[in-house]
Amino acid sequence: MVTIKNKAVHNPLAEYIERLQKGEALLPDNPENVLEVVGILKSYGVVLDAYSKNLNYIAEHQFLIFFPFFKYFNGEVSFQKLLRHWWHDRINFEYAEYCLKAMMWHGGGGLDAYLDTKEFKEKAQAVIAVKFKNNPFIPGINQLFPDFLTEHLRVSAYYTGLGQFWRVMADIFLSLSDLYDQGKIKSIPQVVEHIKAGLVANALNPITYAVKIRGEVYEIIPKSVGLTFLADTAIPYVEAVFFRGTPFHGTVSYNAQGYQIPPDQTRFQYGALYADPLPIGGAGIPPTLLMQDMRHYLPEYLHEIYRHSLRGEDDLRVQICMSFQKSMFCVTTATILGLMPYPLDTKDPNEEKGNRVYLEKWMSRLETSQLLDVNK
Amino acid sequence: MLSVLILVLLIGAALIGFSPSGINGKFARGVALVFASIAFLWTIVLAIQFHPGEITQQFAESVPWIDVLGLNYNLGIDGLSLPLLVLNALLTCIAIYSSDESLQRPKFYYSLILLLSAGVTGAFLAQDLLLFFLFYELELIPLYLLIAIWGGEKRGYAATKFLIYTAVSGILILASFLGMVWLSGSSSFALATLNPTTLPLATQLLLLGGILVGFGIKIPLVPFHTWLPDAHVEASTPISVLLAGVLLKLGTYGLLRFGMNLLPEAWAYVAPWLATWAVVSVLYGASCAIAQTDMKKMVAYSSIGHMGYVLLAAAASTPLSVLGAVMEMISHGLISAMLFLLVGVVYKKAGSRDLEVLQGLLNPERGMPVIGSLIVVGVMASAGIPGMLGFISEFIVFRGSFPVFPVQTLLSMIGTGLTAVYFLILLNRAFFGRLSAQVINLPRVYWSDRAPAAILAVLIVIFGIQPGWLARWTEPTITAMVNSQNVVVAVSLDKAMGAKD
Repeated sequence: MVTIKNKAVHNPLAEYIERLQKGEALLPDNPENVLEVVGILKSYGVVLDAYSKNLNYIAEHQFLIFFPFFKYFNGEVSFQKLLRHWWHDRINFEYAEYCLKAMMWHGGGGLDAYLDTKEFKEKAQAVIAVKFKNNPFIPGINQLFPDFLTEHLRVSAYYTGLGQFWRVMADIFLSLSDLYDQGKIKSIPQVVEHIKAGLVANALNPITYAVKIRGEVYEIIPKSVGLTFLADTAIPYVEAVFFRGTPFHGTVSYNAQGYQIPPDQTRFQYGALYADPLPIGGAGIPPTLLMQDMRHYLPEYLHEIYRHSLRGEDDLRVQICMSFQKSMFCVTTATILGLMPYPLDTKDPNEEKGNRVYLEKWMSRLETSQLLDVNK
Repeated sequence: MLSVLILVLLIGAALIGFSPSGINGKFARGVALVFASIAFLWTIVLAIQFHPGEITQQFAESVPWIDVLGLNYNLGIDGLSLPLLVLNALLTCIAIYSSDESLQRPKFYYSLILLLSAGVTGAFLAQDLLLFFLFYELELIPLYLLIAIWGGEKRGYAATKFLIYTAVSGILILASFLGMVWLSGSSSFALATLNPTTLPLATQLLLLGGILVGFGIKIPLVPFHTWLPDAHVEASTPISVLLAGVLLKLGTYGLLRFGMNLLPEAWAYVAPWLATWAVVSVLYGASCAIAQTDMKKMVAYSSIGHMGYVLLAAAASTPLSVLGAVMEMISHGLISAMLFLLVGVVYKKAGSRDLEVLQGLLNPERGMPVIGSLIVVGVMASAGIPGMLGFISEFIVFRGSFPVFPVQTLLSMIGTGLTAVYFLILLNRAFFGRLSAQVINLPRVYWSDRAPAAILAVLIVIFGIQPGWLARWTEPTITAMVNSQNVVVAVSLDKAMGAKD
């Protein structure tokens, strides 16, 4: 019997819906794209590894410190490191914090919900009390402004949440690169499958947070809360960083007073999938920082391709950004496929319809993204 | 010593022109660059040995040539011609360096550039009216060919227009020169022996009219300017550099040397009209520049406006204003050459100079940030921003001209404001914002593309901060020239008063 699938003819991205229905990726499958995506994810993996280590360090060792001057030093402060920090030839950990703040601002997921619970506040207050036990001044401040230090710990919780999420993602990307080097990854669907498998395998990893004060461990997010990797960090991260973003932290500045920014945050489309790879004006904006970090860790085979491009290394960061967007559409594909409500190969018409509605919703959101550009 | 300058360029031109047909463009360019560099270094040697305090012609050479015609091979340098010689030699090197390696018929091209440079050098060195005219005409032919053969789409039209205008200019200049010599009863065209001040004022005015229109076409002044934008738009970048940087200066040099200097009485008589003419040129040039959408045309119209400042300063004829005129000639030579070089790079890389098409070229990754920054320096200098040569030259022009022609000077100062307006339009449209879709994949810009303009930018800033290093070569000559002119004018005024009594 021949099954005729209903085509999503009204969606301008109908072609991509069909692709996803066939189990293919949002990015065309060809050797150039595979090389580019794997290469860029290798450098991204290295950078994420550094980011995640720093985020976890800050969460565990720099919590409730009001002036964390050396928070990017991971506990190893030296004059040489300080000079390098000022010279700026270093990992821009600020980018990780921008992502963290974007996640915090947009919220969503179990982590965000838990940080507003009474349970968290009690645990936070307990940690504050212990931390400032010998301080005559801070407990008084805490009594006057109880939200102030609690908010500090809320931010610390996001540090660890994003740190744990990126720990997993860094390992997924680095193992992908290893498999490619071994000749085991040869197509974009394989790349997507590897990422999807990694996400699924770690989906239920618990997200926890505990701090050590004077040798004692204090739990802030205990395992019993039930926060997990996929639902409570990965999905909110994708939503906040890939899709919504922040209007002033992109490659284009927007004027809120000129009503260029939607009043509803859910309608934001300033994330990584929408960002214009061409920087305009000022330096130091987050995507530029990330590209600057990644350029230090490009695998030689990818760097060689960039060197032989029209402008050589003059527009290296733009080329990295374009490759990065390609790779992010692979991660998005993995996420979309991983969250499909029904199996992709289902024969049940209702389930097929449910899958199509689900995909159409995703594609509607991607209409103004760089999807068509990365497919050129 | 001076003949060597001309000979080096002529030998270079002949050597390249008669070399085997198989030589490639790169080699021909290299050879041309060697000869142009020798000439440039020679001008530096001359500048070092030059005594600024001596107001007479230095390194003078005099060889009788055709006695019957009163033509002698008289060469010399003074404070007026020296900076222009150095400018010509420098810009010739830069023009050759900036020429496309892969252009067609390279032997002929580089021969013509060296021939052109030899003609200009000879004109600046000539101390004989007829000799000046011969050199003046000599540069006409190579320039015509350089535009007509290696120019843009409408090169034939532009080159022919240039030829016709310049030929008329030549005829008028020649007629005035012959009139000066024959009517004053001189047996020679030598500048040193010529004294047309004895002629009646009406005759002097007639002769000056020929000189004013003749050199007015070359400068060019409104309404004789229409050949210039066409020539610039169709000429290749190196030729535009030479045209704006050096060849227009032949006109202003001619006005000062043969108009103001030889016919001071008539000059003083028409000076108020010349100042008004200058204002018209300044404001018309700037207004036209505002309306342009072609970057090169904008810079070309800017030249017309800036040359008006030179006329204003020459009309005022004070030591300070004439010093300002010479400074403005050098300043404009460097700045316009720099801007044409930069516009040339934009055109080469982006394939367009249209301000409706170009946008966002300052983009740090995909645009031309260094070229854009150099253009910012160039337009700041052109608009007379302090700290750059453009400011100091315009300031001296205005300061020197104001006591004589306050209204005209103030009106000309509006031109400086308008310069800022049209160049800001250029910057805003072409360099700011997001890169337009047409120029999103620009090829790489190399340091070899940036170096020529960067060298000029350095000179513009250095002389802007330390203008004395430039003025010291010229000031004594100019002061002496203007003082002797004032004496002649005063004597003739006394004569006229006496006749009335």
